[in-house]
Amino acid sequence: MKHKVIYLDYAATTPVDPRVAEKMAGCLTCEGMFANPASAHGPGRAARGAVERARSQVAALVGAEPGEIIFTSGATESDNLAIKGVAHFYQQKGRHLITSRIEHKAVLDTCKQLERDGSEVTWLKPDADGLIQPSMVEQALRPDTVLVSIMHVNNEIGTVNDIAAIGRITREHGVFLHVDAAQSAGKLPIDLKNLHVDLMSFSGHKLYGPKGIGALYVRREPRVQLDPLIHGGGHEHGLRSGTLATHQIVGMGEAFELACQELAEEAPQLRSMREKLWQALRATIPQAVLNGHPTQRVCGILNVAFPGIEGESLLFACSALAVSSGSACTSADRQPSFVLRAIGRDDQLAGSSIRFSVGRFTTTAEVEAAARIVGEEYHRLLDLAPAG
Amino acid sequence: MLYDPDYSATVWNHFCTPKNAGVFMVGTPGVLNGTAGARKNGRVVEFQLQVDTDGRVADCRYRVYGCPATIALCSLTSEKLKGGLLAAAATYSVVKLAEQLGLPPEKRAAAITVEDAIRSAAARYNSHLRSTQAPTELITELKDRWPSP
Amino acid sequence: MPSRILSARLLLNMAIYLDNNATTSLDPRVLDAMLPWMQGLHGNPSSIHRPGRAARAALDTARAQVAALVNAQPAQIVFTSGGTEAGNLALKGVCHGQPHGRVLISAVEHAAVLGPAEELIRKGWQVQRIPVDTDCRLDFNALQKMLNADVCLVSVMLANNETGTIQDVKAVAAAAREHSALLHTDAVQAAGKLPVDFVALGVDLLSLSAHKLGGPRGVGALILDQRLDLAPQITGGGQEHGLRSGTENIAGIIGFGKSAVLAHLELEARKRHLRTLRDTLEAGLQPIPGISIFAEQADRLPNTVQLGVTGFDGEFLVMELDKRGIAVSSGSACHSSSGQPSHVLLAMGIDEALARSALRISFGMHNTMDDVHTLLAALTTLVSKRSGALVLA
Repeated sequence: MKHKVIYLDYAATTPVDPRVAEKMAGCLTCEGMFANPASAHGPGRAARGAVERARSQVAALVGAEPGEIIFTSGATESDNLAIKGVAHFYQQKGRHLITSRIEHKAVLDTCKQLERDGSEVTWLKPDADGLIQPSMVEQALRPDTVLVSIMHVNNEIGTVNDIAAIGRITREHGVFLHVDAAQSAGKLPIDLKNLHVDLMSFSGHKLYGPKGIGALYVRREPRVQLDPLIHGGGHEHGLRSGTLATHQIVGMGEAFELACQELAEEAPQLRSMREKLWQALRATIPQAVLNGHPTQRVCGILNVAFPGIEGESLLFACSALAVSSGSACTSADRQPSFVLRAIGRDDQLAGSSIRFSVGRFTTTAEVEAAARIVGEEYHRLLDLAPAG
Repeated sequence: MLYDPDYSATVWNHFCTPKNAGVFMVGTPGVLNGTAGARKNGRVVEFQLQVDTDGRVADCRYRVYGCPATIALCSLTSEKLKGGLLAAAATYSVVKLAEQLGLPPEKRAAAITVEDAIRSAAARYNSHLRSTQAPTELITELKDRWPSP
Repeated sequence: MPSRILSARLLLNMAIYLDNNATTSLDPRVLDAMLPWMQGLHGNPSSIHRPGRAARAALDTARAQVAALVNAQPAQIVFTSGGTEAGNLALKGVCHGQPHGRVLISAVEHAAVLGPAEELIRKGWQVQRIPVDTDCRLDFNALQKMLNADVCLVSVMLANNETGTIQDVKAVAAAAREHSALLHTDAVQAAGKLPVDFVALGVDLLSLSAHKLGGPRGVGALILDQRLDLAPQITGGGQEHGLRSGTENIAGIIGFGKSAVLAHLELEARKRHLRTLRDTLEAGLQPIPGISIFAEQADRLPNTVQLGVTGFDGEFLVMELDKRGIAVSSGSACHSSSGQPSHVLLAMGIDEALARSALRISFGMHNTMDDVHTLLAALTTLVSKRSGALVLA
């Protein structure tokens, strides 16, 4: 028997916006542009046109030039390409990298792989609010540092790093800055013309676009060069070979254009929805504690610790809700979230924390129902538990 | 609450609606308290066995902080022990029960904690059988020694 | 959204599409399978909640379907973003962190293998090309001479994307095994046109691409023996047994699975249909002066004909045919703007002028006899016009 869940896991993935789905389907039906954009014939040219239009749409959301956007298969690939690409290209200059302990696994594992291959990495510890302060970056810089990678918005706790300030510092020191913007594009204004960011990763499926497509911004002025990750036919100015998926690129373009149009209105709506959820939770569970900075956070993410009960039980008791404890990419193993431990939560509190993330299609009714369910289950489990 | 396919229906039901949860009222005769686990390890079980004058487990109660498997095992075990001899309770294999329920190997620790809590309760009675006191007096003495939770 | 089955003529605004080796149009049945996953809410397959698990289950089904196409185990499938990424993962994954040795690749590999091979050279590896004969077949004597204990990896494609030549990969596998070298085969063009059996071929790694068999673009797979120690190229999150991280392209993978099922079921019918078109075309080409079919004597893909047209420029012919509503290519799509003659044809010993005149026709299931006749008529006209002009001049 199929029951409908209340979906509050937009930070893990989003539903495809119907307007995006329509555009994508249009590419795949018989009249659509299925041809290889690299082909010289008419159908190839039509496909190429669609790709270039999508590139402009992505660029427009973030204040970049279309020529600075490369399409990839997702933010994970973008992170790999940016970090390994710079590390390998500039290895004569230096082999030191700086990143934080609470980056997405795509950044962490890539840096670890480079570490195994001979690079040195400084892993910055966030403050108790989950923020990486610009001063932390400055103190870690060395003459042989080539790259700093700091995420814009943390996917677990939603905190927002001041990438403008970090960028000013890295630029001053002649070091490249990579920013994973998978959780921030379309939710916070980003203007790369006025940010000293050299590389930025984007995800399609975090912004109501399809899974399996992403992009990487690669600054032209001043120029940053990369060793490609995937070699072959020389697509994307030689930076990313492999036949492009026209329908997915078109989908990502459409999603980014919709975000551009709706960001100003949507962000405050999401923030208010999130606040409703937080207030409703606190009303039934006064013991609940917020994880991460109270105000320097993105509109949709709410990470709450529920003391006194065990985390797996709370999650399973709330199985009518689709939420997350820990990053989606690592939910399968039941380690307490490394992000929450990095901000000082003990294992039990980290384990009994839940990340709620609201999005474009979340309703007040859903939020109220969710708070009620969590409240009921929390108290049931608390009553079940020994005192103290 | 929606059914989760990782756990069997039995486990799921006992997690959602645990039987015999709680504590005996203060003053209830024949209550043996046992405890196992630690919060920092993610699992605490406080088990109470109520033993009658024939040495049988008349009733059980428990409080549990832990994963769904731990909760379900407490509930299922409490049903199994009721009406049986205390000696049987002291040797009941929750680990075997967990295997029969199809719980994964990682949850063996949950079963062990529940077992430890039950055995620690049963041990309160066993250790005093070495003395020559009559059962009823023994139980009164135990009642005085262990304050209600 | 309804999908419709149309003849090739109605596709692409009346154009005749004869460039199926570059990419195939999406089979409407595959689109039907994909559409539900391209809209609405679907979880992240790594999430443990209900929508996540539903996505995971669909992924597992698709994996089994792709495995069935090539007689592999589901656990041997690593999904990638396409054939190029699969080739990169194979070559770089095997060689990463190994002491530098030698890699042998055939002289006629696709960019998906050439690209990473060139990168290996930059990293200090020795890469040698195994020569081919005039019919594009691998020179086995040369291979035997080149194989020794230094060689850690050999890469020979199962079927060539330009001439369509099919290599005896089984024999290459036997030779490689004797010297404890691993063997990768790019089966991107072969799958869906020939039976491809991972076990029978005896290879260690095999690359596939969905859009060459009626599936969507943006998804491919590397099939590999689980015991291989491959270094992942895209890390973080640990998907695909840690070999290829990143949130899975669910709709694409489901499309891949469906196209694999259809390819498996319809293989014989497809071979027959395509072969008939190819044979008719080749027969019709005989009387046209100046036309030579490359690798004519070799075992080739049932749908591929690459030919040279003496005295003409291949790009010019592609453009002229395009004007007449016929889409073909001169060689690999990846190289169409580079202006270089095909490395495949040069490796076969074909002289540069003839190589530059190359035209590749690759049929798909939508093509009909009418398409063959239209193409022949157009070619005849184009070729005779020039000859006519020469005569008049």
